[in-house]
Amino acid sequence: MDRRSLLKLSSAAAALQMLPGFVFAQATGSFRVGSLCPVTGAGSPYGPGMQQAIRMAVDEVNAAGGAAGVKLELFSEDSQTKPDAAVLAAKKLIEVNKVQALLGTWASGVTLAVMPLTDAAGIIEMNTSGAPAISTLDTKDLVWRYQATNDRFGQAFAEICKKNGYKRPATMAFNNASGLGNTQGFTKAWEAAGGKVVAHVTYEPNRPSYRSELQKILDAKPDVIVTGSYLPDTTIILREWFQSGTPVKWIMPGWAASPDLVKALGNEVTEGIISVDSVSNEKSKSYAHYDELYTKATGKSGSTNVYAAMTYDMVVVLALAIEAAGPGATTEQVNAKIREVGNPGGTPVFTFAEGKALLAKKEKINYEGASSKLDFDKYGDVTPDFGVYVIEKGEFVRKDVVSIPPGV
Amino acid sequence: MIQFLNLLINGITEGLVVALPALAMTLVMGVNRFPNAATGDFMTTGAFMAVGAQLLGVQSLVLATFLAALITAMLSAASYELIFKKLARQPMIASLLAAIGLGFLLRSVISFFAGHDQRTFNVPLVRAWNFDGIRILPTDLAIAGAALGCLAVVFILLYRTSFGRQLRAVSDNPDLARASGIRARKLMIGLWLLVGVLSAIGGVLLGMKAVVMPELGWDHLIPAFAAMVLGGIGSPVGAVIGALLMSVAQELSVPLLGPSYKLVLSFGVLALVLMVRPAGLMGRVDLIR
Repeated sequence: MDRRSLLKLSSAAAALQMLPGFVFAQATGSFRVGSLCPVTGAGSPYGPGMQQAIRMAVDEVNAAGGAAGVKLELFSEDSQTKPDAAVLAAKKLIEVNKVQALLGTWASGVTLAVMPLTDAAGIIEMNTSGAPAISTLDTKDLVWRYQATNDRFGQAFAEICKKNGYKRPATMAFNNASGLGNTQGFTKAWEAAGGKVVAHVTYEPNRPSYRSELQKILDAKPDVIVTGSYLPDTTIILREWFQSGTPVKWIMPGWAASPDLVKALGNEVTEGIISVDSVSNEKSKSYAHYDELYTKATGKSGSTNVYAAMTYDMVVVLALAIEAAGPGATTEQVNAKIREVGNPGGTPVFTFAEGKALLAKKEKINYEGASSKLDFDKYGDVTPDFGVYVIEKGEFVRKDVVSIPPGV
Repeated sequence: MIQFLNLLINGITEGLVVALPALAMTLVMGVNRFPNAATGDFMTTGAFMAVGAQLLGVQSLVLATFLAALITAMLSAASYELIFKKLARQPMIASLLAAIGLGFLLRSVISFFAGHDQRTFNVPLVRAWNFDGIRILPTDLAIAGAALGCLAVVFILLYRTSFGRQLRAVSDNPDLARASGIRARKLMIGLWLLVGVLSAIGGVLLGMKAVVMPELGWDHLIPAFAAMVLGGIGSPVGAVIGALLMSVAQELSVPLLGPSYKLVLSFGVLALVLMVRPAGLMGRVDLIR
C-alpha cells in the first residue's frame, strides 16, 4: 500500500468515526435503548414507575424473541428533572452506551435540553413533555411525544371552563415554556370561542411569596383562575390565596394539583380544585395488559401513573418499528416506521406479540396504545384524552373525560 | 391607595425576612472580610432541621426553630474553626470559594438524606384580617414580628454589650483591636454562632412563606447579597435598610411593570444607589477595597 492510499483509507476511517453510532450499531446483535426518567427531582412522583414500565416492556419484547431478530438492551439514567444533569446523563448514554433511542424524558426543560444531543447523534427521542416548542424544534422528525402538548391542555381548560359555566377566567403562568404554553393555549381557545380573559400574570420561579402577583389577579375579580404552574409555586400561591379569603375556583394541570399538594396544604385549602391530566386509554385491551404487568411489577394499579403507560408504549412502538424495518435496519429506517405501526391504516393490535405475528405475515398494523390511541400527527405528537378531577376532602374524584380533536 | 398599602405590607414582610441573612453576611464581611456564600445553605440547614424536629414530634414551631438555630449555630461555628480560620491569611477569594464549596456540600448532604420533595412546616393556616380591603395575614405578622425581634436582639448585642463593642473594634481596625488586648478567638466563635442563629431563623421564616426544598437558601442568596451591598458592606443597619428598600421597591413596581420585571427594578435601585454612593447607603469606603 502506498502512502497516498494509506492516507485516503485512514481519512475515510476517521470520517467514519465521526458518523453517529447507528451505522455500526446493528452489528452488535442488540438494539440499544436508553431510559432517562425523572427518578429524582420534581418528577420523582412519576419517574421510578416510568423507568419500571420501560424495563417491563423491554423484558416483554425480549421474551417474545426480540424485534427483527435482535434483543433490546436497556441502559437507565436519572434525569433528576434538571436540564443540566439530564444533558450529562444523555451524553453518557449516547457516547458511552451508544444508545439508538432515548426514552422517557418528562419535564419540557429536560426534553428541550437533550433534543440537540439526540438530533446531532441521529437517534430517536421519545418524551412525555408538554412544551409546544418541542413540535417545531424537531426538524429531523426524530422526536415523539406521548403526552398532550401544553397547547392542548389549554384547550381542555377552556372546554372545562365552558362546561362549568365560568365567565371571567384569569390566568397565572410560571415563566417557562410549559407554564406559558398552558395559559396561552387556554387564552387562544377561550378567545376563539368569544370569551375574554380578565387578567394574566407571568411569575418568576423561586420567590418567597406571590402575594402581589395574586393580588393583581384577584383585583380583576375573576370567577376562576387557570394556571400553568408546578407544585412548589402552586403551594405558595394557594396558601396565600386561602389566607386572603377571596372565594374563587381553580383549574390546574395534574402535575401541580397532585396528592402532594393536598399533603402540603390540607383538605380545606384544596377542596374543589379542578385538576386536569391526560388519562390512559383505559378501555383498550392494551391498557388491561399493561395494567396487569404494572400491578405485578410495582404492586400499584396502572392508573396511579399515567406517564408509566406512556413509557410502556414507547418501548412497544419502538420494538414494532424495529420489527417492521427488518433485520439490519439503521436507526433512521426504524424511525421512519414509527407512524406506520402506530397510526390508522392497519389491523389494530394491542400487544407487541400480536403485532410481531402480523408483521411476519407482511400485514399492516396499528398499535393502539395503553396510554392513548397514539396516532402520531405530523409533529410526532399524540392526542390523549383528558381526565377532569375535582379534589373532594383530599381525594381526587374523576368527574369527566374531555377529548380535544387532533390539532392542525 | 388600598392596593398600594397591600403591596407595601408585602414588601416590608419580604424585606424583613431577607434582612436576617443580609445581616449575617454583612457581619462576616465586616469582620472576616469575605462574602459568606454558604449563608443561604445555613438557612436551608436551619429550615430542614426545624422540619425534622417537627417530624420527630416537636409540635411547637418556636421550639423546633430554637433547636434548629442551636444546631445551625454549632455548624456555623465549626465551619469557622475548621475552614475559614485557616484561610484568614489567604486572599479573600480563597474564603469565598471555600464558602461556595461548603454550600454545595450542605445542599448535597441535605438532598441525600431528605430528598428533593418539597416540605412544609406544620403551621395552621389562618384567614387574613381584612381592614376595608387592607389585608394582613396573621402568619405574615408573626414572621415580621419574629424577624424584628431577632434584629432587635442582634442590635442590642452589637451596640449595648461588651461583645458588640469588641466586635466593632475588630471590624474597624483589627490591628488596633489586637493591640488593645481583645481576644479574637472567643469573639470569632461568638460571631459565627450568631451568624448561624440568624441564618437558621431566616431560613425557617422563609420556609414558612415559601416551601422548604434543598435549594431554598441558595435561591435567595442573591437578594440578601444585593441588600448587603445596597446598605453598605459591613454595616448592620445598612443591611436591614437595604433589604427593606429593595423588597418594597420590588413589590411596589408590580402594578407598573408586572411581576416578571420586578427583579430588574430592584437591581436598578441598587445600581442607582451605587452610582450616587459607591460605598452603599451606610458604608465606609475603606471596606470596599
